[in-house]
Amino acid sequence: MNRILPILTVVLAILALWYIAAIWLNAQWVLDQAERAGHSVGLWEIIEKTMSQDRPKLPAPHQVIAELWHATLGMKLTSKRSLFFHSWVTLAPTLLGFLIGTVTGLLLAVGIVHNRAMDMSVMPWAIASQTVPILAIAPMVIVVLNSVGITGLIPKALISAYLCFFPVVVGMVKGLRSPDRILIDLMKTYNASRWQVFWKLRLPASMPYFFTSLKVGAAAALIGTIVAELPTGAIRGLGARLLSGSYYGQTIQIWAALFMAAILAAALVGVIGLVQNRVLKRMGFVR
Amino acid sequence: MKKLMKTALAGLAALGLAAPASAGKDDLTLQLKWVTQAQFAGYYVAKDKGFYEEEGLNVTIKPGGPDIAPAQVIAGGGADVIIDWMPSALASRERGLPLVNIAQPFKRSGMMLTCRKETGIRKPEDLRGRTVGVWFFGNEYPFLAWMSKLGIPTSGGPDGVTVLKQGFNVDPLLNKQADCISTMTYNEYWQVIDAGLKPEDLVTFKYEDMGVATLEDGLYVLEDSLKDPEMVDKLVRFVRASMKGWRWAEKNQKEAAEIVLDNDETGAQTLRHQVRMMGEIAKLTAGSSGELDPADYERTVNILLSGGSDPVITKRPEGAWTHMITDKALK
Amino acid sequence: MTANSFWLAFAIGFWLAAFWANVKLAASAWSESRVVRLVVPALFGITLLVLWEGIVRGLSVPAVILPAPSQIAVRISQSLPILWEDFVQTFVKGALTGYLIGCAAAFLTAIVVDRSPFLQKGLLPVGNFVAALPIIGTAPILVMWFGFDWQSKAAVVTIMVFFPMLVNTVEGLRAAEPIQLELMQTYNATWWQTLTKLRLPAALPFIFNGLKISTTLALIGAIVAEFFGSPIRGMGFRISTEVGRLALDMVWAEIAVAALAGSLFYGAVAVVEKRLTFWHPSQRRG
Repeated sequence: MNRILPILTVVLAILALWYIAAIWLNAQWVLDQAERAGHSVGLWEIIEKTMSQDRPKLPAPHQVIAELWHATLGMKLTSKRSLFFHSWVTLAPTLLGFLIGTVTGLLLAVGIVHNRAMDMSVMPWAIASQTVPILAIAPMVIVVLNSVGITGLIPKALISAYLCFFPVVVGMVKGLRSPDRILIDLMKTYNASRWQVFWKLRLPASMPYFFTSLKVGAAAALIGTIVAELPTGAIRGLGARLLSGSYYGQTIQIWAALFMAAILAAALVGVIGLVQNRVLKRMGFVR
Repeated sequence: MKKLMKTALAGLAALGLAAPASAGKDDLTLQLKWVTQAQFAGYYVAKDKGFYEEEGLNVTIKPGGPDIAPAQVIAGGGADVIIDWMPSALASRERGLPLVNIAQPFKRSGMMLTCRKETGIRKPEDLRGRTVGVWFFGNEYPFLAWMSKLGIPTSGGPDGVTVLKQGFNVDPLLNKQADCISTMTYNEYWQVIDAGLKPEDLVTFKYEDMGVATLEDGLYVLEDSLKDPEMVDKLVRFVRASMKGWRWAEKNQKEAAEIVLDNDETGAQTLRHQVRMMGEIAKLTAGSSGELDPADYERTVNILLSGGSDPVITKRPEGAWTHMITDKALK
Repeated sequence: MTANSFWLAFAIGFWLAAFWANVKLAASAWSESRVVRLVVPALFGITLLVLWEGIVRGLSVPAVILPAPSQIAVRISQSLPILWEDFVQTFVKGALTGYLIGCAAAFLTAIVVDRSPFLQKGLLPVGNFVAALPIIGTAPILVMWFGFDWQSKAAVVTIMVFFPMLVNTVEGLRAAEPIQLELMQTYNATWWQTLTKLRLPAALPFIFNGLKISTTLALIGAIVAEFFGSPIRGMGFRISTEVGRLALDMVWAEIAVAALAGSLFYGAVAVVEKRLTFWHPSQRRG
């Protein structure tokens, strides 16, 4: 409970900064408009007008919240304009990509820890793979996959898996190697096989790392999906909302979509956090 | 081997993704150049009003986007017909992708350069030393051809224009980051107006008036499609129904805009915008039967060839268009 | 045997041979030697390229879909000046500036916050939340605010790297063991002394974790931001323009430069890390 107050303070401070920034950034437009219309405006009038523009440079928080409310609870759930609909469109490939990415990441990590050749050859290239701007080539990836007959959910999921597997690999390699030398030696004195060392020592010891990398991976998977939607034919999904918002200069819509994405990300991370607490408590990591 | 890969991957994709195919109808996929909007009203009308169905076609319309190159989609087999602008289609052709124009529903160009009046730009010569927003992604060719015709370098400096890659919206003009930006008569120009600027605050150069208009939205297929009689037959029916759709859209602009809106899944478009866009689009399609006018083609090619040191295409293309389809479709 | 199936067979054969060689090398007595540690990943990379070349040639994939590595290499050698100009614009001006500003700002913020447990409690969850956001979505907005040139790209990068770096640093500053802190207290050390002599060194693995994550984020951020408006140079600009022109060899040339630059950047940070945190368990072998 003692965390609520500090968090609230920080959030309020951010909101205050936001309002000030909104006034600052939107004032120019009010002044330009007034100049074209040929009358002058007072300070108070400027502030008032910066709070309610149709296409503000930076929408005020209450405008974004109003748009969020309107686009989620203010309309039918099945409507194509509903943000819930678009969120679901984005969430489905995210979850699939998250699954693919996590499994791939786990397998790679296990391979790296147990196989010297893989350790030496895969890791540098896994890092190099992340420096390839997948975001920039996402449209090409989708076109290429389309050309061999893969459409719909899977191309988006693959791009999201591509971003998601890396944090899992890095975290799990660290985690699987986290048991101290002395513990591994102990297992050896028990004459444990590599398999037994893995199941009874390495894997349990890696659990805290596992959940941390899952959280990062989930966020990365969501980003991957959004990016896959962004340039590839604004059809539907949160990425498409961002794009069409940008295309039509609907800044309020962009921010609402960003917030919806934030809520999704927070929900994903939150769910993983809950599981983490449960599991780690039962395993005795948290006392 | 390729076939094997295709089947294997298609099998993967079929897990819950199989599209419902109407029985007994010929499938055809059309790749649009941009997002769903009234620019493509004719095709959506033909689909919704059943014109394609009457011709025994089951047409899938794929919306495009800022980073979808229709030419790449057709090269990958993701579409049978694409909508593209002639400059980029001819440039792709020179790169070894044999695109052929089979019909040209857009008679006139809707491309313009829109400047804020307060910058003092009155005539094209005034562009020297200014900053101009241009679309890239294959849409930069008309601008480059125009500048090279005027002899203005596009590398910046006091004598040349500084070119910015314009994003998807008109903000660079509104935020005074650019003196001029590229606009279409049916779309971005009205976004500028919607943002609160008045027509008298703006100076506009239409490519059509500057004598550098190149052909815009046309229908393109790969050369091989034209060798296949079955495919040719499908294309004939497709063009016939599409042009019927365009005629209908021109006459019933409001309903056409509503049809477009029904097909838009982003939920970002508004009826008011689409109706207005439909009105402007109708001005561009008016007078085109769908048949490509060879004179327009020649003009486009000449403009593209005149690119000075860096022409868009280096040699006169051969066989880049055909009347084979329209001759049969429009009898 | 046709040329196509020859290429496929060759690629697969090469793959198997390289695989076998790598396993042997890694298990050999010299597996710890510097040469082997360079050869093994290099062989792996070459195998990937050969497979790619073989598949493209063997299945005759059209160049407008996926060019072969040999075509890309030719393109790179022909376009060095353009690639260099784009590299400077995007990497040096955009990504590196943003990386330095973002990481420095995050580090300083973490130190400031450290003095106030109240702020720390509030900022950490919020920072964690923001770190998970699709910050890339703010790119169009930042281009609108900061203009088309590299400044807006640096701004995107700054925001992208700030929160991962902040979260890691704050976390790291809590990494010192209570017993060590108590020892410092018994020495009558000031806050500053405790910070520089104990807590910052203890925080280094976390700080470097943040720095490493940020290297890849920085490059990606700078490239993607260019999609939303840019001057007519830069890696992101080139990629999106050349896709439109179907010059896929140029696109992949830029991607290769990006991957190379990104890997070297990451590698440089990793080398510094190894020098400074040699004592940490994760740096030990085995």
